[in-house]
Amino acid sequence: MWFYIKLAWRNLFRNKRRTIIAGLAIGVGLASMMFTDSIMIGMKDSMIGSATDSFLGEAQIHRNGFRLTQEAGLTINNLEDVVASLKAEDVVENFTTRTMSFGMITSPANFSAVMLVGIDPESERFLSQIDEAIQEGSYFEEENERDIVIGSELAELLEIELGDRIVITVAQAETGDLSQEMFRISGIYHFNIKEMDVGFAFARLPKTQEMLGIGSSVHEIAIKFKDMTFALEKDSPFWERYSAFDNEALSWTEIFPALNLIFGMLGITMVILGAILFGIVAFGIINTLFMSLYERLFEFGVIRAVGTRPGGVRKIVLFEAGSLSLVSIFIGTVIGLALIFLFKKIGIDYRGIEFAGTTITEMLYPVLNIRQFVIYPLATFLFTVLVGFYPAIVASKMSISDALRKSM
Amino acid sequence: MENGKNIIVTEKLKKDYKTDGNIVHAVKNIDFTVKSGEFTAIVGPSGSGKTTFLNLISGLDTPTAGKVWLNDKQITEMNGKELSDFRRDHIGFIFQAYNLIPVLTVKENIEYIMLLQGITKEDRYNNVMNILKDIGMEGYEKRFPPKLSGGQQQRVAIARAMVSKPELILADEPTANLDQKTGAELLDMMRELNKKTGMTFLFSTHDPMVMERADRVVTLVDGQIAKDENKSRE
Repeated sequence: MWFYIKLAWRNLFRNKRRTIIAGLAIGVGLASMMFTDSIMIGMKDSMIGSATDSFLGEAQIHRNGFRLTQEAGLTINNLEDVVASLKAEDVVENFTTRTMSFGMITSPANFSAVMLVGIDPESERFLSQIDEAIQEGSYFEEENERDIVIGSELAELLEIELGDRIVITVAQAETGDLSQEMFRISGIYHFNIKEMDVGFAFARLPKTQEMLGIGSSVHEIAIKFKDMTFALEKDSPFWERYSAFDNEALSWTEIFPALNLIFGMLGITMVILGAILFGIVAFGIINTLFMSLYERLFEFGVIRAVGTRPGGVRKIVLFEAGSLSLVSIFIGTVIGLALIFLFKKIGIDYRGIEFAGTTITEMLYPVLNIRQFVIYPLATFLFTVLVGFYPAIVASKMSISDALRKSM
Repeated sequence: MENGKNIIVTEKLKKDYKTDGNIVHAVKNIDFTVKSGEFTAIVGPSGSGKTTFLNLISGLDTPTAGKVWLNDKQITEMNGKELSDFRRDHIGFIFQAYNLIPVLTVKENIEYIMLLQGITKEDRYNNVMNILKDIGMEGYEKRFPPKLSGGQQQRVAIARAMVSKPELILADEPTANLDQKTGAELLDMMRELNKKTGMTFLFSTHDPMVMERADRVVTLVDGQIAKDENKSRE
């Protein structure tokens, strides 16, 4: 065994240039897989971050049916108990309460449909990025109950500026009667997410509760966990606990199923990409091994003539394939690591690009994962050896006299 | 090894090749016998079928018809694996272009066949050292073939062929790539080893020096034995 390994290793470096070129070709394929995977994970994290950090939260609690109908009367049941229980949860880092109602926003120049969101500015800071996205004015710094914060594109549509007055009309929960209130623009935000910049307006929670006639009730509780992966633990009793009293507790994966579908598609894309890259690698290996085989045809003839069994010849070729893959894995890992660390430092700016209904708001950074340095190299090794069977079988089946004659 | 016993027997050995649609009769129904311990040269012009005949005798090629017995074993009935094992244990090969494995040292080249035979490391080492002494190449065991002269490489090839003490050594044009002086030295060395060990040597050659030293010279013309000349061993 050691003899074959030694023979394979030395044979590999007989033609250093060819080995390095073949190793580079396979290594670049492996590095591409590693880098693409790290980017995919980074993109996934960035998309989840963009979707959950900007406004959604990692989980939400609503009254059953509210998400579908948006009826103002469908407020969360047993709110005090739910809030008290959430405060005691170890897994919950922060949460905030909101009212959500469709309404009409009117300025002297124009009008538009809008989602009026009643928020508690203090706790909202931890769940959304409205405060960070303020472009003009401030985020509810003054204690004025008629302050309202709107998006930049909505401000443009309504032809209003900071300090201007607007009127919001909503339908009350119980009666359906219209309720109108005048607000003053205290802040204009820019999220770079069209839906948020043109379709949302944020006011203080007590004021919106008063307009909707729902007392101290709310429509939504947005939750941020200490560990964001908790949102994926669907077997946890947490979800059942907060889905009692005709309420429903959902993670972001259920609130935003499109994102999960996209991740599934990204997974398939990786498989297809992997298959293409491994296909290219396969031809590279076969080509290299056959070049080496035909170059040394007489040598293989001699090896067979002196009594090496066909299996021994197969071993020699397979060990060469294995050695080539080890060289390639080394090259690929170095290139892959260098690329990942470089882009981890400088990042990739996809901010503002909308993908699968989510606008990426954060810089994209590749994420290192154990599979990139274990699974992919291992797969490359196994695949190289597997592909090596073809030239190995050809070498073991060749006619000895032909091999001896051809290269003489 | 029992001298005088038939080590090679061929019966109506025939080999046809198909080249560009034409059938070439390379070997035509040869009946041939070599006795153990003989130093025999098969001579003949290019294309007379010398190498093909040697390949058939050693099982490197399969005959179109006829039979080959080596050491009383009919090799024409053996499968690939049995033939490999038979060649490993009973035949030593010496080729025109030395054909050592360039990435293996002199010692590793010589011990390769013993490695296939499963001989222990210690015995392999001792055998290599002894044969290096016999061929006058002590101290060269760690050298790689490209660093050796043609004559030295052919000496190592002879050592590789003989180290496992096979009954038969087949040498295809062993002096063709060597200058006359080196070729003569090597032939004398092989003759000495033939006498010392009793191994049978069968050469395919054009070289008059081989013919001079051979006990028997068999001339092949157009795939047939045209002349079979037995000379005195003295």
